Amino acid sequence: MINAQQLQEIVGEDWVITKREQMESYLVDETAVAIRPKPADNVILVKPASAEEISEILKLANRELTPVFVRGGGTGICGGAVPIRDGIVLSTERLDRIEEVDRANLMVVAQAGVAFGAMLKAVEDAGLFFPPHPGAENAHVGGLVACNAGGVRAVKYGVIRNFVRGLEAVIPTGEILMMGGKLLKNNQGLDLMHLFINSGGTLGVITKVIFRLCPKFISSGTLVISYDNRHEAIDTVPEILQSGITPLAIEYVERNVIEISARRLGMRWPAAKGQAFLIVMLTGDSEDEVYAQGERVSNICEKHQAVDILIAERKEEQADILKIRSEVYSSLKDNVADVLDITVPPASIGVMMDKVDTIAQRFDTTIPTYGHAADGNLHPHLMRDLHERGILRQVKREIYQEAIKLGGVITGEHGLGVVRLPDLDLCPDGKTWELMRGIKRVFDPNNILSPGIGLL
Amino acid sequence: MPELLKVSITEDINRRSGASLRIIVPMKQVPDMRQVKFDTEKGKVDRSSAAAEINPFDLHALETAVQLKEKLGAAVTAISMGPRRAEVALRDALARGADSAVLLEDSKFAGADTLATSYTLACAIRKLGGFDLIICGEKTVDGDTGQVGPELAEHLNIPHLAYVSKLVEAGEKLVAVCDMEGEAHIVEASLPVLLMVTKDINIPRLPTFRDKAMARKAEVTIWNAEELSSFADPSRFGIEGSPTRVRKVFLPSEEGRKGKIFRNTNEEAISDVAQAILDFLG
Ligand SMILES: Cc1cc2nc3c(=O)[nH]c(=O)nc-3n(C[C@H](O)[C@H](O)[C@H](O)COP(=O)(O)OP(=O)(O)OC[C@H]3O[C@@H](n4cnc5c(N)ncnc54)[C@H](O)[C@@H]3O)c2cc1C
Repeated sequence: MINAQQLQEIVGEDWVITKREQMESYLVDETAVAIRPKPADNVILVKPASAEEISEILKLANRELTPVFVRGGGTGICGGAVPIRDGIVLSTERLDRIEEVDRANLMVVAQAGVAFGAMLKAVEDAGLFFPPHPGAENAHVGGLVACNAGGVRAVKYGVIRNFVRGLEAVIPTGEILMMGGKLLKNNQGLDLMHLFINSGGTLGVITKVIFRLCPKFISSGTLVISYDNRHEAIDTVPEILQSGITPLAIEYVERNVIEISARRLGMRWPAAKGQAFLIVMLTGDSEDEVYAQGERVSNICEKHQAVDILIAERKEEQADILKIRSEVYSSLKDNVADVLDITVPPASIGVMMDKVDTIAQRFDTTIPTYGHAADGNLHPHLMRDLHERGILRQVKREIYQEAIKLGGVITGEHGLGVVRLPDLDLCPDGKTWELMRGIKRVFDPNNILSPGIGLL
Repeated sequence: MPELLKVSITEDINRRSGASLRIIVPMKQVPDMRQVKFDTEKGKVDRSSAAAEINPFDLHALETAVQLKEKLGAAVTAISMGPRRAEVALRDALARGADSAVLLEDSKFAGADTLATSYTLACAIRKLGGFDLIICGEKTVDGDTGQVGPELAEHLNIPHLAYVSKLVEAGEKLVAVCDMEGEAHIVEASLPVLLMVTKDINIPRLPTFRDKAMARKAEVTIWNAEELSSFADPSRFGIEGSPTRVRKVFLPSEEGRKGKIFRNTNEEAISDVAQAILDFLG
C-alpha cells in the first residue's frame, strides 16, 4: 500500500490527508443510510491539481497495487464514490477551472472538478444553454460524465451522453488520453470516449470534459398540472409525446413528497389542488409557440381529468419549481431506505406505476413515487419501515422483476455503483457482463481503480 | 415582545358604504435584475440587456389585492406608467386576478423620477374615480427607492402604511402589521389608505394556463398625457417634472473568498492569526 509521503512528493504536503476526522465527508456519498456501503478503515485522501499529478498517482498505485477510489462532488446515490477497500480517495476538486466557453463552436471546456452549478452559470452568462439538469448542482462535471447523469431536462435533448464531445482521462496505467474534441462527427476508430461515459470511475479518472451547448431558447413556460388520481396523471404522459410535442421535461411528482421538499426549502408548492402532478417544461422560439404547445398539452390533460393547470413564466417562478423538484430526494433521504431508479419503455410507465401500487398494497406499505415520466424513469421510494420489517430486498426485487418484464432496467440514470450490484442476477446476462469485465481488464489490468464498484 | 403601537387614522375620502372595495395596484415593469447590465459610463441601467417583468414586490401587492377580493369582494385595477411593452406586465396582472388594467404611455412621461412618476400615477387614479385601497410593493428592484408609494399617498392626500407584512383586519377599517426595523407595529387605519407591502405578506400565486392565455389577448386601457390633462399640470410630467439628477452609478466590485494558511502552532503564529482577524474586522 502507498504511504502518505509518496503522495506528498507528487502533490505537495498540503494536499494529502491522513487524519480520519479531516476526511469524514469524503468517505460517504448521498446514498440512503440504510444501504450505504461502509467505508474502509485505512484510507488516504489525496487532492491532485492536474492530469499529470493524477498520472503519477495512478502509476504509483498500479505499481504498489493500491486501490484508488475517484471522487467528484460526492452526490452519487449508489455508493459509487465510497472507498470500500483500504486505499486512496482521489478527489478531483482542485481541477476546478472552466477553461473556455466557446461561443463560436457552441462548446464548453471544463476541468472535471468544476461544480455543475458553476458551469451552468458560466454557460448562461455567455448567453448559451446546457439542457440536461440532474438535480444536484453540487455534482462535478466529471461525476456527471462518469455517471451519465440524466435528470429533469432529458426529454427533448437527451442525457449527459448526448452532450459529451471530448474527454481527457488518465487510465490506471498512467497514460493521459484525449478522446474526441470540439467535434460533431468523429469516426476515427472505436469510440473509446463513449466507454468512459457511465464508467463510474472504473476505467480511468476523467480530468477534462468538452460539452456541446445549445443556443438559449427565446421563450419558456413551466406548466404545473394537478390531478386527483396518479394514474390519470401518468397516462397523460405518453399521449403528450405521441401528439408530437416534445417538452424540455415532463416530471411526475406527488403532493406528499413535493410538499416536504418545499417546506424544507422554506418555499411553497404552487398548486393548491390535486394530489398528483405533472411538471411540463415548454420552450420555443416565441411566446406564441410556447402557448400553442401549452394549449395542446392542456387539452390532453383536461381530457384525463386534470383538475388545475398553472403556468409559471417568470424566471424565478420556473426556477423555484425546478428547485423544489430537484431537492425531493434530499428532503426524503432520512426516512428512505432505498430510492430505486427503474426505467421502462416510455409507453409502459402507466403499467409500471400500477405494478408499484399492487406491490405496495401486498406488502402493506406506501411507496412514494416520482420521476422523469416521459423518459420512463421512475424513482419509487422504499421507506424505512420496509428495512425495519426486514423485507426491503424482497420488495425491491419484486419491483425490479416487473420492470424487467416490461423490457426495462434496474437503473436508468443513477448507475450500478455498489448498491445495485447484488441484484444484477435478475438482469438478462448473455455474454455482456463478461465483455464488460474484459474491457475493464484492458484499461486496468491490476484492478486498482474503484475495485468492487460498477462491475460484478 | 415587540412594542405594539396603535395609531388610528380617521380621514375618509371617497368612501362608499356597503359596496365592495375598490383597490388599485400600481405596478412597474422592471428588467430581470439577475441578468441586467449597467452602463457605467452613462450611469444607467441598460434595459435592453435583460427581459422585462413585473417588479417582484408588486406581485405581492397584487396578491394582497386578489386575496381581499376573494374574501370581501373587490374590483382590482392594475395601473402602470411605462412604454407600450409594459402592457405585457399588465396582462400578467390580469391573469393573476386584476379585473382591469390601465397603462399610462406618452413620451411626455419619459425620464420621470419618483416625484413625477407618483404625480402622474396620482392624476390617473383621480381620473379613475374613487378608491378604497391602493396597494403598492415595498419598492422596485431597479430603482430601490421605495419613494413612489408614500409620494403617491401625499399627492392624493391620504395616509399610507409602509412595510406591511400582514393584514389583520380589512373592512370598515384596516388593521395591519408593519415591520419597522425589528419591531412589529400593529397599526389601524380608516379607508382610503395606501399600503406598501413586504414580501412576507404572502406568496404570489401562479396564474392558471387558461387565464393567462386569455389575458394575453385582453384589452389594456391606454391613457396618454392629453387624456390626463384635466386632472394634471403637464409640466409636472416626465423629465420636466423631475428634480432628481443622477450624478453617477457604479457597481461595487465583487471580492471573492480569500484563504490564508497558517502552518505553525507557536506563539508567534497565534499572534499572526489574531492580527489577521483584527485586520479583517478593521
Ligand atoms: C438531490 C440529488 C438529486 C439528484 N438528481 C439526479 C438526477 O436527476 N439525475 C441523475 O442522473 N442523478 C441525480 N443525482 C445523482 C448524482 O447527482 C449524479 O449521479 C452525479 O452525476 C454524481 O456526480 P458527482 O460529481 O457527485 O459524483 P460522485 O458522487 O463523486 O461520484 C459518482 C461516481 O462517479 C465516479 N467519478 C466521479 N468523478 C469522476 C471522475 N472525474 N473520473 C472518473 N470517475 C469519476 C466516482 O468514482 C463514482 O463512481 C442526484 C443526487 C442528489 C443528491
